[in-house]
Amino acid sequence: MAAVLKNLSRPMKHLRLPEFQHMKSYWDPIENVDVIRILAGECYVTHCHEMITTVLGSCVSACIRDTVTGIGGMNHFMLPAGKAERNGNGAVHGLSADAAYGGYAMELLINSILKYGGRRERLEVKIFGGGRIIGGIADIGFGNINFIRTYLRTEGLKVVAEDVGGDFPRRMAYFPATGKVLLKKLRNVRNETIVQQESAYLTNLRREATQGGEVELFGD
Amino acid sequence: MATILVVDDSASMRQMVEFTLKEAGHQVIVAEDGQVALNIAQGASADLVITDVNMPNMDGITLIKELRALPAYKFTPILTLTTESTTEKKMEGKGAGATGWIVKPFNPEKLLATVNKVLG
Repeated sequence: MAAVLKNLSRPMKHLRLPEFQHMKSYWDPIENVDVIRILAGECYVTHCHEMITTVLGSCVSACIRDTVTGIGGMNHFMLPAGKAERNGNGAVHGLSADAAYGGYAMELLINSILKYGGRRERLEVKIFGGGRIIGGIADIGFGNINFIRTYLRTEGLKVVAEDVGGDFPRRMAYFPATGKVLLKKLRNVRNETIVQQESAYLTNLRREATQGGEVELFGD
Repeated sequence: MATILVVDDSASMRQMVEFTLKEAGHQVIVAEDGQVALNIAQGASADLVITDVNMPNMDGITLIKELRALPAYKFTPILTLTTESTTEKKMEGKGAGATGWIVKPFNPEKLLATVNKVLG
C-alpha cells in the first residue's frame, strides 16, 4: 500500500516537456523524487519536482530556474578546444567554433525554460564544474569556467552560487523546483572513468564543431 | 560587402554572428527581437536578414512574414539561425518565406559560405 501511495506522488512521464520525453529516469526513495541523470552534451528542463544529477570533471553545468514558476534545468558541456576568444571588452565573439558551441549549449537550456513560461528577468543561475582533471589539456576546465562566466555576464544573468575549478571532479544534484543543489567533491575517487568519458566527448565535439549545424536552402 | 540585419535575443549570439560577419567585411545591424528588427527594417534596407526563431515580443517566423509584406523586403534573402531543427519548424519557416535554415551551433566558415551563396 505504501509503495502504491509513493508511486502516486511520482510525476507521470507524460507530464514531461515534449523535448525531454525520451530521457530515462529512476525513483529515489530517499529524496522522494524522480531522478534524471544527464551526460556530457545533454540538457534537461522540467516543470515537475524532479532531481537532475550529473558528474562533472572539466565540463561545466549551468543550473537555471525561474524563481516564480520553478521551471528550470541543467546542462552539461565543455568547449571543443577549451577556450572562447574574446574581444577587448571581455565579451564572447565568434571567430572560433568554441564560443558558438558554448553559446548553443547555454541557449538550449535557457530557450527551453523561456519556451515553457520562464521569464528572463526572473532567472536564477548557479554554475559548477570546470575541474582540472584531464592531463595534457589541463586548461580545459579553466577555459570552460571563463566561457560560462563571460556568457552569463554578456546576457545580463547574475550568478547566485558557484563551485568551480579545483583539481577534482564533482557529483551534483539539482532540484529546479526549489533551486537546491547537492554537491560532492570527489577528492578520493579515481578519475580514469571520468577522464575517458570526457575525452571521448571532446573528440566527438571537435568533429561536430568543425562541421557545425545543418544548413538547408529552400530554393524556389 | 553587404548590409546584414542580425536578429537574436541572445546578446552573446549577436556578438558572435556580428564578429564573424564583420571580419568578412560586411556591415552589420543588430536587433534583439523581431519587433525591434521590424522597426529597423521599416526605416532602413538590408541586403540579407539572419534571424533567430525563438524570441520574445516577436518571434522569427512572424518577423519573416512581416518582412515579406514590406515591398523592400519581398525578395531579400532571409536566413534563420536557430536551435530548432524539426521538419515542422523548418516547413513553418519555409511557408513564412525564409530563404534557408541554419541550425546552431553555427560554424563560422559554413555561415559565411551560406551568406555568400544567398547574396549571389
